[in-house]
Amino acid sequence: MNQTPRAVNRTVLVLAGLLFTLAGAAGLALAAFPGFAGAWQRGAAEFGRASAAVLDATTLPGQRDSWLWIVAAVAMIGLVLLMVWWVAVQGKGRTGVFARDYYDDGTRGIVELASAVPEQAVKAALGGRTDIVSTSVTAWEAGHDAGLRIKVQPRLGAAPYRIADDVSAIVSTLDAALGRSGPVVIHLAAGARTRMSRAERVR
Amino acid sequence: MTPEDRARIEARELTSARSGAAITAAVVVALLCLYLMFEAAMKSIGQPAWVKSPDEWWAWLSGLPGTADPFLLAAGSLAVLALGLFLLLSGLLPGRRARHAMPDPRAVVIVDNEVIAATLARRARLEAGVAPEQVLVVVSRQLVEVQVRPTSGIPVAAGAVQAAVEDELRTNRIDPLPEVKVRIAESGVVGQ
Repeated sequence: MNQTPRAVNRTVLVLAGLLFTLAGAAGLALAAFPGFAGAWQRGAAEFGRASAAVLDATTLPGQRDSWLWIVAAVAMIGLVLLMVWWVAVQGKGRTGVFARDYYDDGTRGIVELASAVPEQAVKAALGGRTDIVSTSVTAWEAGHDAGLRIKVQPRLGAAPYRIADDVSAIVSTLDAALGRSGPVVIHLAAGARTRMSRAERVR
Repeated sequence: MTPEDRARIEARELTSARSGAAITAAVVVALLCLYLMFEAAMKSIGQPAWVKSPDEWWAWLSGLPGTADPFLLAAGSLAVLALGLFLLLSGLLPGRRARHAMPDPRAVVIVDNEVIAATLARRARLEAGVAPEQVLVVVSRQLVEVQVRPTSGIPVAAGAVQAAVEDELRTNRIDPLPEVKVRIAESGVVGQ
């Protein structure tokens, strides 16, 4: 339900993976095959001469080095900023505001429902149940209406369909009470707490 | 929630976002770029290089393998190759999570395989009449493996356990329905 740019993740991972794989394979081939090492050194010398010519051509009179180095430094800063952005958008999209509306009849202003409203409602509705170990509710940006992610940890052995149906009914009640119907994910999860707690009794 | 939204959210819940691999790649590339930026900046303002100037790095690189310890070169290349393969496979493999979806009129319902396994194990145990420790259930995307160790002297009918487990899967509306394989162990254990 988060807004991680998955297509970007996949594309950049494939690109970076290819680069590192090729570099590693080339290094191994250099260490293992003398024939490849000869070809590599000839090719590298050729490329070195060509780039030295370019660097000489871009050196301004009176300067010691080419201005291309400044361009390279700026390009590297750009790449670093892109990487920082990439890390920052992982798992993005959590919001503390469940709903927000502007009213201009009567007293004008904005009404906001914090994400704690649906969270407390769902937790209160599921509070007395013995077949649930823990509940957590988070709100996520999803277009106009915020999306809800309800993570429930059932006690080991509890029937998933019963819990799913009951939580779904609670969500429908919540829709009617709050007048919102954004996307909802009900996640029946296993975790450390379910493994440590005692199993569901037979019923 | 339109059907397209529902399918999209469900697919996202059932597969990994590859955030870990993405952060690894970003950190490695950012560190490399920071170092290169530093050396390029030193070069452009005419200061002495920090570790090696770009020219010296190029001379070192184009002189390989003569300019490096062959063991270090091989070990370093292997490490880079392993990192590259990890990133490449993270990008290409589907990355399915150990979860199943359940149809529901209002919400997208996602169940961890472990939760399904626990409820199947309870049902299989009741059907076979054995203690919880004698049943092991492993749930994967298309297969449910049930292993029962019967109590010595009390036979367990594999067909009945199979039918019960399949019924439990259908009751829980697991979609798509995995195949069920029941294995009754040859040797029994002393019952509790």
